[in-house]
Amino acid sequence: MKILVTGAGGFLGVNVVERLLAHGQRDIRCFLRDKGKAARIEELAASNPGSSFEICYGNLKSKADCARAVADVAIVIHLAAGLKGAPAELFVDSVVTARNLMEALGARTEPPIAQTRVVLVSSFGVYGVVPLGRGAHVDESTPIEQCPERRDPYSHSKLRQEQLVREYQQKLGFELVVLRAGVIYGPGGGAFSNRVGIQVGPIFVHMGGNNLLPLSYVVNCAEAIVVAATHKDAAGQVYNVHDDEMPTAWEYLRAYRKHVKKLRSIRVPYFATRFLAGRLEGYHRRSQGQLPAIITRYKAAAAWGGNTFSNAKLRGLGWRPLVSTQEGMMRTFEYLRAQSMGK
Amino acid sequence: MGLKVAIVGCGKIADAHVEDARKIPGVEVVAVCDQEPIMAEQLAIRYGVPRWYTDCAAMLAAESPNVLHITTPPQSHLALTRQAVSAGCHVFLEKPVALVHADVEALIAAVVEAKKKLSVNYWPNFEVQALELHRLYNADVLGSAVHIESYTGYDLAGEFGLALRRDPDHWVHRLPGKLFQNMMDHVLNKIVPFLDDDEPYIHAIAYKRGGGTADSGANEILDELRVMIKGEETSAYATFCANARPVGQTLRVYGTKNTAHVDFNARTLVLERKQSFPSALGRLRPPFQVAGDYWRQGLRNVGRFRRHRFHFFDGMRTLLTEFYQCIEKDTDPPIAYRDILRVSDLMERIFAQVYPEGQA
Repeated sequence: MKILVTGAGGFLGVNVVERLLAHGQRDIRCFLRDKGKAARIEELAASNPGSSFEICYGNLKSKADCARAVADVAIVIHLAAGLKGAPAELFVDSVVTARNLMEALGARTEPPIAQTRVVLVSSFGVYGVVPLGRGAHVDESTPIEQCPERRDPYSHSKLRQEQLVREYQQKLGFELVVLRAGVIYGPGGGAFSNRVGIQVGPIFVHMGGNNLLPLSYVVNCAEAIVVAATHKDAAGQVYNVHDDEMPTAWEYLRAYRKHVKKLRSIRVPYFATRFLAGRLEGYHRRSQGQLPAIITRYKAAAAWGGNTFSNAKLRGLGWRPLVSTQEGMMRTFEYLRAQSMGK
Repeated sequence: MGLKVAIVGCGKIADAHVEDARKIPGVEVVAVCDQEPIMAEQLAIRYGVPRWYTDCAAMLAAESPNVLHITTPPQSHLALTRQAVSAGCHVFLEKPVALVHADVEALIAAVVEAKKKLSVNYWPNFEVQALELHRLYNADVLGSAVHIESYTGYDLAGEFGLALRRDPDHWVHRLPGKLFQNMMDHVLNKIVPFLDDDEPYIHAIAYKRGGGTADSGANEILDELRVMIKGEETSAYATFCANARPVGQTLRVYGTKNTAHVDFNARTLVLERKQSFPSALGRLRPPFQVAGDYWRQGLRNVGRFRRHRFHFFDGMRTLLTEFYQCIEKDTDPPIAYRDILRVSDLMERIFAQVYPEGQA
């Protein structure tokens, strides 16, 4: 059973490949765009000589590369996606690439499409939490966003990606498993999700306050993906992915300050965030975009609305976090401190 | 003004075209088009454009726009321009105008033959300070231009640069002049209005200064270009620089009477004046004059900010306003076709020197 991992050289991808190997999977095709990100994957290939470990370079924007990527694979773990850049770039990197991959699957004859599973890693950003009000509980039954254009471009592109893959699932009939991840963090990742706050010039504006931070340590997230990818009961299901212990945004920021470096920050409570977002939104409209509407009331409600989360469904599949949140944060902060000192 | 605008090409720069066209009263963006349906759809949804298409001919037939903005890669500009003018549209083109100079000539000929109008998005030349520079020049405050220095910086880690770095197959890598071809319009179009020659002497050198990165698309990009230009009366020095920080965009015009320095990022224009006071007194005065210029420019910028005229692409709004007005009033377009052709010719000659293997 050959497994394709797209985005295998990325922050999450390398960990997914490691977890696949740990689960005894030996027939893995790692699809990477940048050869410069292949070092760890090449190490894994060298240290697992008994496995059929294939490194496939290409670009999912290319239909020919997509055809090469999906040839003979029974499971597609699709991680590749745009994380930053202009909105158009995010749509190319997340949605156009996913469409090309689905088209390539549709054009393939072996193995049969009905015996092929696609595992899509999506995001909490696809949930339409705003109409539910402050403090809403988010699980897999939470409706998806109905006004994606009012969200940040990343969430918009991830939602469109998920919708598109579902359309192809209906059309082609493959097994689809969707994992919606919270805040994936760990060594190699970034320091702050915007759920904690945003950097504005020299000041970190902390708006997360006492909201729960749905952290998913990268190893735990990778483990969840592998468990869902290989579990027979996961077909057709959606799983929220976050660790069991969730610190508040404030606790995370405090720990960062203690273990990484001092950070000039200002704490803005939710009511003030909403007020300021409304002012910025109004100014953005009146001035025809002279200042970007990086925060609107809608975006504020989505990011800092004090949601609670559940990973019960994922736990029901047998997934357990391999690294505690405390340990995960320590490893992450150690990495960030080294990065900070290196600069 | 009542104009229907359509846009073909829904990549990154199309955002600016939608935003700035809609700032002009009476202008409506009626539809967008991209061969890739996902891209057309996302642009229409994000900006609430009523309709989107994947076929430009179908869009032109259904929408009958007055103006077509072409924001596709330059490989398609000539064919799309011909299609647009045949459908009765005026054309606003994103730079670079075309792949080669012969295509630029053909493109302009097609527009002229169809009795339509064309402009190119040379927006920095329509920033307030650039317009002020030309006003001073035309009023003979600078005298005649002796030498021009045009400098444009670039950030390969920025929003646009990242797209190139991540993708070795990005269309910019397939241009004859590669990264330089996507940027040199903005360096040269600031020089050309001061340089009357059709075929000035040029000498260009290019090299790679930045180190390799994890992104395979970046490692082969030449990222520094220097061009010396010598005309009959005026010389110029054009610099494209991807490694100096901050990423600047400046123009210095050395005149026979005074010298002007425009900073497009800081949005300032400072005049370096010939001093009338003798000796040490003449050396005491300039810093205060320059400080006064900066102070006044700062205050004017505050005023523009308060009047909501301090957007990144404010020059594009001015250019579009002038272009749309020229359509309504049937006057000359805001950028002379001769200047567009001279920029294109200079670019082709530069790329022939720095990428000789890429020339036919």
